[in-house]
Amino acid sequence: MRSRGLGSFAVGVLVAGAVVWSIVTTDVELSRLLSAGPRIADFLGRMLPPDPTVVDEIIKGGAETLRIAILGSLGAVFLSVPLGILASETMVSPAIYRPIRMLLAFIRAIPLILVAMLMVGAVGLGPLPGIIAVAFHATGMLAKFYAEAIDGVSRAPISALESAGAGPLARLRHAIWPQMAPVVARDTIFRFELNLRESLVLGIVGAGGIGFYIQTYVRSFQYDKAASVTLAVIVMVIAIEALNVALRRRFR
Amino acid sequence: MSVAAQIGDVSFAHPGADLPSLDRVSLTVSQGESVALLGASGAGKTTLLTLLDGRLRDWRGRVSVLGMPLDPDNAPPRARRADTGFVFQEFALVERSTVLRNVLNGRLGRMPSLRAFVGSPSSLDLEAARIALVDCGIADLAERRVDSLSGGQRQRVAIARCLAQEPRLILADEPVSSLDPARAAEILALLTEAARARGATVLFSSHQPDLARRFSDRIVGMKGGRIVFDGGVADLGDAATSDLYRETVTVPGIDLRAVN
Repeated sequence: MRSRGLGSFAVGVLVAGAVVWSIVTTDVELSRLLSAGPRIADFLGRMLPPDPTVVDEIIKGGAETLRIAILGSLGAVFLSVPLGILASETMVSPAIYRPIRMLLAFIRAIPLILVAMLMVGAVGLGPLPGIIAVAFHATGMLAKFYAEAIDGVSRAPISALESAGAGPLARLRHAIWPQMAPVVARDTIFRFELNLRESLVLGIVGAGGIGFYIQTYVRSFQYDKAASVTLAVIVMVIAIEALNVALRRRFR
Repeated sequence: MSVAAQIGDVSFAHPGADLPSLDRVSLTVSQGESVALLGASGAGKTTLLTLLDGRLRDWRGRVSVLGMPLDPDNAPPRARRADTGFVFQEFALVERSTVLRNVLNGRLGRMPSLRAFVGSPSSLDLEAARIALVDCGIADLAERRVDSLSGGQRQRVAIARCLAQEPRLILADEPVSSLDPARAAEILALLTEAARARGATVLFSSHQPDLARRFSDRIVGMKGGRIVFDGGVADLGDAATSDLYRETVTVPGIDLRAVN
């Protein structure tokens, strides 16, 4: 009891210390905060009404973002199938799945935008670095999901097929795959939705897509055009989420 | 009469268990016999059946099944495994696949590796599956998904999968314990008659002594990992039966099974 009370006290001091440190060392001026109201109103005023003449740019950029998400997701699926099998307790020994899982956790820890910046440096501007970045980043999550789908299947049918004389690959195909297929479909669609959402900002670092136009219009103070592109992004996100919900119902 | 299975002085304990699941067990089953394994939960029935199916590792003793010795360290080769069929208590079907697909899964041990992986059955495989479906009375359910079936129908599918395998020895681990009494008698009749028609040996475990008497010609009683009764159906009196279940009937509702 005593040591536990001491522990909570230590955590409390740590949190309080972190907050005080942040306030003291960050340049937060009350005057700037108070004068922000009219400036935000002015900013919003300049966004309205949204400029509809950028519809061509929206279609072009939106289509490119969609292409990045589709090809990036495809790449992630190709990488995740072998990595997912190698990260599953059911298929391989701890000596294999432990390091693979660490690798996947490492990949997940790198933000997409960082990967995109590195890839722009490596292969130049355009959608290609975006596609590579999405494929790489999404694999960290998707391979983990695939491994969990393999490990989540019921063992009884696998034993039954083993008893009948089926080899490991036949068991994977006829006992494991039918059980995990709907989970894999749902996870893949979910990851595609995330890929589309996340790739909307790739254009900001020059990795292609609709984000490029938001960046350009904000930098050149064309807030009415930026507003149109932002609206288009919101519509795209809602549309892919609705599509995701509709598709997920089909996989049971 | 030739021997279907022979167990000599076999002992086995599950990792971490205090008591052995099998304690110096010896048993000989002749080809064509229908044997019922009786005993309370935890008596070692499932372990014994799993041993004969070649899926148990690290046991001590001698076991030969259908004339071939089993190796405690390795699974039997694919072709040998197909000769021994297993019917699971909880059916062990692939729920999202069709009835026909599940029954064809019983043929995987008879197919060459590549054909088994691709899952393209030969006309021989399809014929074996068709006969099994008809014998189990579920030919009209062939295209239905298993998750849409009742418990009795599922066990028929599981038996059909076992029959499609064309086994010479059929092991059934409490095949009817999850079914209601009427359904249970139906399924046991189906299993034992199908086996008899094929000249296959049957070894099934049960919790229900009256069902065991009706559908077997020999009773083997187990208790605490040992065989404590072995005789004809007529030899198993009420006293011997209640002796098999003593100690455990005092804790109703608690499942002491060591192996699932």
